[in-house]
Amino acid sequence: MIGMLTALLSTAVLSGGVLALASVGEVMAERVGVTNLGVEGLVALGAATAVLVAISTGNPWLALLAATAVGALGGMVFACAAVLVQASQVLCGLSVTFLGIGLSAAIGHSVAGEPVPVGLAPVTVPVLSAIPIIGPAFFTQNLLIVPTYLLIPAACHWLLFHTRHGLNMRAVGENPAAADAAGIPVRAIRFWYVTLGAALAGAAGAYLSLAVIPSWSEGMVAGRGWIAVALVIFAGFRPFNAAAGGLLFGLISAIGFLGQARGWPIAAPVLNMLPYIGTLAFIMFPVVFRRVGRRGGEAPAALGEPYYRSVR
Amino acid sequence: MGALAGSGLWRPVSALADAPTLAPHLPPLREEDALVAFGHTGPITDGGWSTAHDKGVQAVRKAFPKLRTVYVESVPYSADATRIFRQFVAEGANMVFSTSNYGDFIKDVADRAPEVAFLECDGVTVTGNLGWYYVTHWYPSYIIGIAAGLMTRTNRLGYVGTFPIPSVYASANATLLGAQSVNPGCTMHAVATNSWFDPQAATQAATALADSGCDFLCGITDEPAFLRVAESRGLKAAMWNLDMRRFGPKAYVSAVVLDFASFYIDQVRARLNGTWQAAANFLTLAHGVDRDAWGETVPQAIREQADAMRDRILGGYNPFRGPIRDNSGTVRIPAGTVMDDNAIYQWDWGVQGMTGLG
Repeated sequence: MIGMLTALLSTAVLSGGVLALASVGEVMAERVGVTNLGVEGLVALGAATAVLVAISTGNPWLALLAATAVGALGGMVFACAAVLVQASQVLCGLSVTFLGIGLSAAIGHSVAGEPVPVGLAPVTVPVLSAIPIIGPAFFTQNLLIVPTYLLIPAACHWLLFHTRHGLNMRAVGENPAAADAAGIPVRAIRFWYVTLGAALAGAAGAYLSLAVIPSWSEGMVAGRGWIAVALVIFAGFRPFNAAAGGLLFGLISAIGFLGQARGWPIAAPVLNMLPYIGTLAFIMFPVVFRRVGRRGGEAPAALGEPYYRSVR
Repeated sequence: MGALAGSGLWRPVSALADAPTLAPHLPPLREEDALVAFGHTGPITDGGWSTAHDKGVQAVRKAFPKLRTVYVESVPYSADATRIFRQFVAEGANMVFSTSNYGDFIKDVADRAPEVAFLECDGVTVTGNLGWYYVTHWYPSYIIGIAAGLMTRTNRLGYVGTFPIPSVYASANATLLGAQSVNPGCTMHAVATNSWFDPQAATQAATALADSGCDFLCGITDEPAFLRVAESRGLKAAMWNLDMRRFGPKAYVSAVVLDFASFYIDQVRARLNGTWQAAANFLTLAHGVDRDAWGETVPQAIREQADAMRDRILGGYNPFRGPIRDNSGTVRIPAGTVMDDNAIYQWDWGVQGMTGLG
């Protein structure tokens, strides 16, 4: 039983990391009022870049850095269009998705299907890895796990909810006109946090192609970028919840596969439905939760709306 | 290569053809005037199924340097497929290959373009200008199954499946029957990932199989994800499509390897000569499908025992003989009868010892 739980959690932690990273990034973008639907494309771009750099330099950390930088660059392209020019965020986001998928296929063509010589190797953290069930899952896999589930969400949470700058960020997402009147640079804040979110999406791609698969092939992101966007709503726009949502989603799909492998008396199609049933539950959960009377979890009021100073 | 045509290496399937084979009626073409189009089901860089077909396309280009070829990757199974095949016809293609089953999406186009030769991989329909071809992958699967039965310690084989369709049943059943022929206690646990190409889902499926005690993984995905899992967990794995040993040299046992080059060249030559006719073709063992060279960790004795069966099959032996029971214990193939290629091609039940697969 312990062995099964450990195995289940290990799989969930490893595969949920992609969702967690991308989703936390999207939380940052949406908190400042910008919906970035380009995540799927940015993850693909990061994944292809990471494999290219890993194969040519032999250094996985350089590959991670490059993927993050390329993600940020893609985010800047999106931010130029959606924040500076103030074009439709939805259309720009979709364009970035298509651009990212196409561009990643083009640049990754030469290394498609090649094994990555130096993935993110498993590292065992002393002491912590001895904790039953949780230890092996979080502290023996690779060095990105702890930043993904703990450090990055913690930093984002602290920034958003415990600093004056975070208050400004949230003001930009809730009411950009008021923020502008108070002297907060609306465009600059939106631009840089969209870029930060996109950088995390690029890092999620590197995580996928260096730690999970590890190889690049066209189409291997397989919709996980979209799931990351959906998780933001489930998470109530909070970084820790987003990371936990990624983990939960990884857990649900891992349970489905384990059930099939163990021959549980549940039809395979039903087990394969679990992630989608889970998605429905995820979306209903915050709504039900809100009825109980506690406030919270709503989208930033100005989410998706370009801010025009001239018409405020 | 010309000797291949009519030499019986592509076994015609008369029982499945629902229309009488017409005499060749498409006129000969000059190589420089001809256009041959290929619609691939996935990206040709998938490192598996579509890459294997693309190697066949490259062989065609090499064999007919003046011939023009075009291809489209990732043709979806939808009305978009009709649009793509129609586009091929509009561009003047004389011959169209689809590397997967597109059913009515391709038949509609073929019916309206009687002067164009169509060949569909994994198809079911034969008309005057639409034929199909498929590999008899169950023979190499059986041979690899023998190695699996001899190499497993836990007697549990894991199968990373995609969808519960006849190709997948045939592949999984053949492997398990091969294993049981040398190790009757073997069972197989199949997981359906609902995708031909989703490396992350395949990784999770393989991890779940390994966690539940399977020490030999096989499957039918278009990419090598579960071989990597086997390598990192110290297990063994047998693959599909192409030589993938570089992804896991210690774990690699063998693969059902595909080679469409000879068949494609043969069919294109027949079309150019005006001798092409629509038919159903099975690519037989050693002529388009085979087991790959054994992996470095496969002991010599096991190689020899498995290859002895390969020699027998090449000599005409059919290992799929009764009694074969389904996974509820009912005898489906009575003693004294064999399953021929047509029956295996339409296999839709799991054999005894199989769990999963819907």
